[in-house]
Amino acid sequence: MEKLKLIILREYLSIVGRRSFIVMTLLIPVIMILCMALPAAIGYFNNSASEAETVAVIDETGRYGGAIADNELFHFVPLRADTVANPHEFYKKADGQLAAVVVIPADVDSTSEVTVYSENTINLALKERIANQLSDTLTRARVASYGVPGLQKMMDESNVNVNLKSVKWNAEGDESQSSTEVALAVGLILAFLTYMFVLLYGAMIMNGVIEEKTNRIVEVIVGSCKPFQLMMGKIIGVALVGLTQLAIWVVIMAVVGAVLSAIFGPAALSAASPDGAAAMAAAADDFDMGAVMQAVSSVNYVYILMSFVFYFIGGYLLYASLFAGFGSAVDQASDASQATTPIIMIMVVALYAGMACIENPNGPMAVWCSMIPFTSPVVMMVRLPYDVPLWQLVLSIVLLYVTAAACVWLAARIYRTGILLYGKKHSFGEIMRWIKR
Amino acid sequence: MENDFIQVRDVVKQYDGHMALNHVSLNVPQGCIYGLLGPNGAGKTSLIRIINMITRQDSGEVLLDGRPMVPDDVSNIGYLPEERGLYKKMNVGDQIVYLARLKGMSKLDARNAMRQWLARFDLTEWENKKLEALSKGMAQKVQFIATVIHQPRLLIFDEPFSGFDPVNAEQLKVEILRLRDEGSTILFSTHNMESVEAVCEQISLINHSQVVLQGHVSDIKQQHKKNIIAIDVREGTQIATNDDLFTLLPPVAGQQATHIKVNQGIAVRDVIAWLNEHCQLTGFHEVLPSMHEIFIETVKTA
Repeated sequence: MEKLKLIILREYLSIVGRRSFIVMTLLIPVIMILCMALPAAIGYFNNSASEAETVAVIDETGRYGGAIADNELFHFVPLRADTVANPHEFYKKADGQLAAVVVIPADVDSTSEVTVYSENTINLALKERIANQLSDTLTRARVASYGVPGLQKMMDESNVNVNLKSVKWNAEGDESQSSTEVALAVGLILAFLTYMFVLLYGAMIMNGVIEEKTNRIVEVIVGSCKPFQLMMGKIIGVALVGLTQLAIWVVIMAVVGAVLSAIFGPAALSAASPDGAAAMAAAADDFDMGAVMQAVSSVNYVYILMSFVFYFIGGYLLYASLFAGFGSAVDQASDASQATTPIIMIMVVALYAGMACIENPNGPMAVWCSMIPFTSPVVMMVRLPYDVPLWQLVLSIVLLYVTAAACVWLAARIYRTGILLYGKKHSFGEIMRWIKR
Repeated sequence: MENDFIQVRDVVKQYDGHMALNHVSLNVPQGCIYGLLGPNGAGKTSLIRIINMITRQDSGEVLLDGRPMVPDDVSNIGYLPEERGLYKKMNVGDQIVYLARLKGMSKLDARNAMRQWLARFDLTEWENKKLEALSKGMAQKVQFIATVIHQPRLLIFDEPFSGFDPVNAEQLKVEILRLRDEGSTILFSTHNMESVEAVCEQISLINHSQVVLQGHVSDIKQQHKKNIIAIDVREGTQIATNDDLFTLLPPVAGQQATHIKVNQGIAVRDVIAWLNEHCQLTGFHEVLPSMHEIFIETVKTA
């Protein structure tokens, strides 16, 4: 045990102390923050820093000139058609003061066509603003033209938005609110996390094994401890590295998130553009925050996280030992990709199966893939929020751990022979003989 | 055989149908420098790995102090493999301490011993440098320190002198002899016969997975002597010949003395007496074969 501890510690410190680890650990959140913060920052500066642009509205009908209301981006100036003979000359005379000229033709009621002129490209926000505001006004005008008293009110009231509320019964028939969307997001995030972690750190283990083998230090080490201790030390050490990295990221994200929302306000974080902000504000009217909060809290986090930890450890052990075993059988890093291809293929299948299970989390494929140990750590994460029967969960975890133990055993047998054989490529049959020995 | 430290008894090891060790036995006395000789692929490394408990023999046994070895015995062994290897990205000091602690030393003892050894090899200033910054010779010294730091009773050196320049090789030889004097037993695997003559007391020669020659170096030389005598005569005079007593061997470049081979059944003393009468003899000595010659002869005839 003392030796295993030493090996774990060395493995951990040697990776965590590496410059590339520190750079990666800090760089990835920075990149993610930039991706998140950039649109928010742009939106923020767009909204507040620039002055509203002036747009002339030439109204040939004489009725809709004031129909387009100003917002923080645009200031609309209604003009009577008889004051402007030529819109282009008018635009020229303004000498850059005008962003665009809107012409509402006299027959707009029947054609519904309005034109915007400018020498510059007309931006999307302006188009949307004009179209939205005029559509609204013209619709009202048309409704009014039918001469039916109270029609506008009737139409407003007949506008139905179905609000689907899902309620889950437990065995006693008690009700609780559930939200498939929130459950889905939680499941997917956990599935991705497992997938990423296994691939990233599995590769790290394999590189470590190959490095020790090509360095020949392995011969010195196994003269002091059992090959199994060295392999497990590496697997556990790398797992601790991964958990450290995750912890650092969570802390960085939390701190940056708090700072950002303090500076820009919560809306800025989700607003990618000023229109987005407007849309958000509009959406917020129909958005029942309380319902969402209830849905979020209805997901049984303790249950999901506990299961996650079980699957995560089992899945990591399973794949990490395979990576270590394969790594010991190759002679140099360049041969490694060949050896890992089958492992990565299985992982990719697991991820796709997981995503497919979203459609039907209790269908036969989902059930089978959540039983097969090679796919269950990913697929079960997606299924978990949908109340998997307990017997399935237990059976799946038992299968996973039995297989993981078998893989560790198998990998250890390959490992103890593979690490001492240099300079040759080993056939599959040869590796099989190592296992039997 | 009471004081035999390591006894290898009838060890057999096979790999995938290939016989690596075929009923090999040898006894290494306490405090001896024991040479394990043999051409490449003869089975030396297989035997070392078995003694080192890296691999297990198919049959036979290895005894330490007369009892079968147990896993904890690895702390009594220091092993310098032929293919040297250390962690390139790790500090010299940390690396030595890590390897020493794997052998069961406490952190404090390991650190103190590491500093002493670095000082002895003039490497003190490199303690906090990464291994990749060191020259090959310095890295070899670091590896040597890592091998001996835990004061093992048995030291296994696989080609210890390869990669050392003559100055460092001499320093290494002095250290090895010092370790022997301090009580360590040394198993020395090599095909560098000069170093065998310089340090080894006993040897086993392994060829084609079998021990083909075993014993004290001086005994082996006696057994392999070919009744050759080097004769010095006064400068400017000729050596007399007598075909009944001896044959003249063709002169060898760079060799002053004339070598003669004493005929079968003739006593050396009679030859010298005859030569003393018939020419102006100034000196003579018996020529013993070098280990190099014995090695080549044995391996070729095997």
